[in-house]
This record gives sequence, C-alpha cells and structure tokens, in this order.
Amino acid sequence: MPGLHEVQRAFSRSLLSASAPETGDLVRPNGLTSARRVQVYRNNVFASLTEALRAVYQVVERLVGEGFFRYAAHRFIVGHASRSGNLHRFGREFPQFLTKFDPAAALAYLPDVARLEWASHEVYHAAALPPLDIRRLHTVDSNDYHRLRFRLNPTTRLIDSPYPVLRILEANQNDTGDAATVDLAAGGERVLVMQQDTELKLQRLGAGDYAFLSALGRDCSLGESAAAALDSNRQFDLQSCLIHHVQHHVLVDIVTP
Amino acid sequence: MVHHTGNPIPPIPACAGIGLRSAHHQEVVERRPTVGFFEVHSENFFGAGGPPHRYLERVRAEYPLSLHGVGMSLGSVDPLNNQHLDRLAQLIERYRPGLVSDHLSWCSIGERYFNDLLPMPYTEEALAHVVFRVCQVQEHLGRQILVENVSTYLEFEHSTIPEWEFVAEVAQQSGCGVLLDVNNVYVNAVNHGFDPQTFLRGIPLGAVGEMHLAGHTVNHLDDGKRILIDTHNDLVCDPVWELFRVAVARFGRAPTLIEWDTDLPELDVLLNEAAIAQMILEQSDARVA
Repeated sequence: MPGLHEVQRAFSRSLLSASAPETGDLVRPNGLTSARRVQVYRNNVFASLTEALRAVYQVVERLVGEGFFRYAAHRFIVGHASRSGNLHRFGREFPQFLTKFDPAAALAYLPDVARLEWASHEVYHAAALPPLDIRRLHTVDSNDYHRLRFRLNPTTRLIDSPYPVLRILEANQNDTGDAATVDLAAGGERVLVMQQDTELKLQRLGAGDYAFLSALGRDCSLGESAAAALDSNRQFDLQSCLIHHVQHHVLVDIVTP
Repeated sequence: MVHHTGNPIPPIPACAGIGLRSAHHQEVVERRPTVGFFEVHSENFFGAGGPPHRYLERVRAEYPLSLHGVGMSLGSVDPLNNQHLDRLAQLIERYRPGLVSDHLSWCSIGERYFNDLLPMPYTEEALAHVVFRVCQVQEHLGRQILVENVSTYLEFEHSTIPEWEFVAEVAQQSGCGVLLDVNNVYVNAVNHGFDPQTFLRGIPLGAVGEMHLAGHTVNHLDDGKRILIDTHNDLVCDPVWELFRVAVARFGRAPTLIEWDTDLPELDVLLNEAAIAQMILEQSDARVA
C-alpha cells in the first residue's frame, strides 16, 4: 500500500504536468478514467492561481486580453511555485516574468504596468505606522539635520518608468477609460503608491520628489537625499517637499544621528 | 488545552450566516443587514492592514464572526507551516472569532502550494497523521477548531475507510468539531456513488459545530457521464436543501453558512439564501417543540 508521502508526491507531479499520469494506478476509475479525474484537480489548481493573478493584474489583463493573459498566467504558474497558503502572496515575480515573456515583447510598457499593480496590491494590504509628529524635528540640532534619516510608511511604494505608466493604468481601470488617448511618447512617469484615509491612492511625483523619497527609502541621510533630488531637479524645494510628505504620512519616523 | 485569559468569546448563534467578500464590504457596513453571522477566509486577512481590516473591524463590531481557513494544509506530509499558524493566531487574537475552521485535505507538499483542496487517501496512516496535525493546531491556537469534509473528484484505490467514518474518527480522536458541508456530501455522493444519508448517519450526534451550504457546477462529459464540481458559484440546489433538512433533523440547529466565492451576485441573493436556511433551522425547532 503506497504511503501518504508517496501519494502526495505523485499527485503533485501529475498536477503540474498532464504528461505525468503517475497517479494512474492510485486512482479508482469508477466510471471515469483516472486521468480525467486528475484533470479536474489540475484545472482547479490552474484556475485558482490564474484567478489570483487576475485579481492583482487587472490592467495587464485588459491590455493583453483575456485569452493572452490566461496563456501567460499558465506559463507563469508552471515556472513559479506558490509558496504560501495565502494567495495574496502569489504573483510577485509576474512583472519580472513579463520582461522575458517573448509573446508580450511588443508591449514594452507591460512589465512596468504590472510592477505598478503589484505595488498597489502590497500597499492595499499593508499596515500604516502612526504619523510623525513634526515637532520632533524641532528637537534636532539644526547642525545635525543633514544626517537625519527618515522612515517611509510601509503603506508606500515608489515606481518609476520610462513610459506614462500611471496614465496607462488610469485609462484602463474602468470602462470609461479610453486607452487610445494615451500617448506612449509622452515620456516616463514616477508614481507614489500609498494609502490615504486607508484607501489606495496613486500620485504622480516630480523628478526631484521621486529622487528624494527613493533615496530616503534606501536609507540615505537627509543631506544625501536632498543632493540626489537636486541632481534630478535644480528647482527642488527641500523644505516644502519634506513637510508635504510628513503631513501626508509618507514619512513617518526619524532616526536621529 | 484552552488557556484563554480574557472574557469568553460568545459562541456563534445557531442561525444562518453568509460569507463576507470584498465586493460586498462597503454595502455590508452601510446597510448592516440582518444575518446571524459573517464568515471570512482567514487568509484574506493575513495582510497587516489596509482597507480589508478596516472593514472587518467594522463588521466584527456588529456581528459574530467565523474564521474559515483554506491554506492550513492539514493533511499534508510537510511540517505544519508555523508562519501560517502564527498569522492565524494573530488574527484570532485580534478578532476573537466564535469559530475557527479549515479543511480535511492538503494543499502543499515540498513547500509548494497548490492552493486547492486536494484529496486524502482514507487509510489508517492518513487518519493518524491528520489527527496528530489537528491536535498540533489546536494546541498551538489554544482552542478547538472545526474540520470540514471536502468535495472530491477521485477516490484512491488503497483507501480502506469510508469518508464519513474518516471524518468522524478525526473528530473523535482529536477533539475537533465537524464543519459539515452539506453540498460537499451531496457532490461526493453523486461523484462516487453512495447514499448521502449514509454519510450523515456516519457522523456522531454532537460532533457538528457548523454547516455549509453552497452551489456547485455539473460538468457533462463527452460520454454522457457527469461530475459535480464544488464551485461555490450558484444557488443551493434542491437536493442539497433536502439533505440540509435531513441534517438539521439529525444534528439539530447549528450555525449555517451560505458560501459563494466566484461569480459573486448581489448581496441580496446571499441574504435570500440565508433566509431560506434560517427558515429550515427554525422549522426544526417547531418540530422539536
């Protein structure tokens, strides 16, 4: 009699490959072939993992169409194991997968749209830290300002793209959007994904703000981050940018030197 | 085994409830419909925060709550996933649910998850394994869980125990309760050719802590044969309502959930189904009185 371990090993192999009917001898046919019975499970597995991807990558699906998405999802699922009983964790590598997915090569912006959707998905399920009391800045010696480090709220993500990725997203998010109006040559966009009043909000950033926040996010000091921002935009206004992002709970903690 | 320190959690009333799905979050908190309880998939709230928790907190403030898991992989030969268990424990701490449940199936091996309810062989080895795992989970969570019978589309040649006996033994030996999914009993009875009432008679009185009702899909195969798939995408069908009446007559009133996961309809459709279930539960009282 096969042991439980052996049964589950064989069954899992036959779920992933239709050409591995290893469970043939294990399954009682009872009116249907055992292959047909295993096929029901294979269909269910691919359907639920595909559904998990569709829930996150709705705009990607809309851009490529349902059939194409299903095909891409199938290829992705075969190559990328789900590692959690929580389906919300599945699909993180899908944007990376799309960069190497030849059938989608003509849509060069597609992986960046996918990155934006995954960032939105993560932010949607993240817990916010309490806001930073701006008065804490007054307790810092002004000579030490440049050495301060800031913590970004876990409910934020920064995405940049050489394509107008947020415009593409907005134009394809609901039935009123008109994808034809997006000019792909309009230039890149930098996006801050965040929770606002606990709902999801996507906001365009200028080059300076983006360089500043992403440097802080890499644990650079305030001085280094301001320098990076000024490199991107000579008009960068450090004070108003800093206050704005503290007030909007993007920056939620300071680490004093 | 139970070492809870705070106020006892009130049990879920033996009424009809519905599943809470994100598409209905807003409407539920605005309308506050009359319904016995809400049940959610635990894993949908494994994230640390955001809108899902904001809604669940508001729902929990008004209704009894049941946490129903799909990812514990109780029957797997992999070690229990401690990260998963810890997340669930945190969720229990936060929401103090009246019921906590998962499935008599496995969904992972070699740390690869299939996120589906895969079938167990019903053998002495599998029984001992599942009993051990359920005990481990109950020990970890410090409370009883319910374990649900699942729909299956195949039987293993080497199974030696009827499904109902396997379910009953898991409950008896581990001290867990049975989440009796009436639709799954019906689906399996059709798919494998047994009398669904035999199943019900195999479950001991007093073991059932909750019942589930759902719609399924009939797949017609090329050769005129059919196989029922547990899709949770439709109204409860008449034979399942009939079987539910039998189950209520046998086991008495229990919290009863209308499950609907795909092709989700308007909230009112779920509430109507719950109203029918509620009526059947109350008719059983009338008969007893």
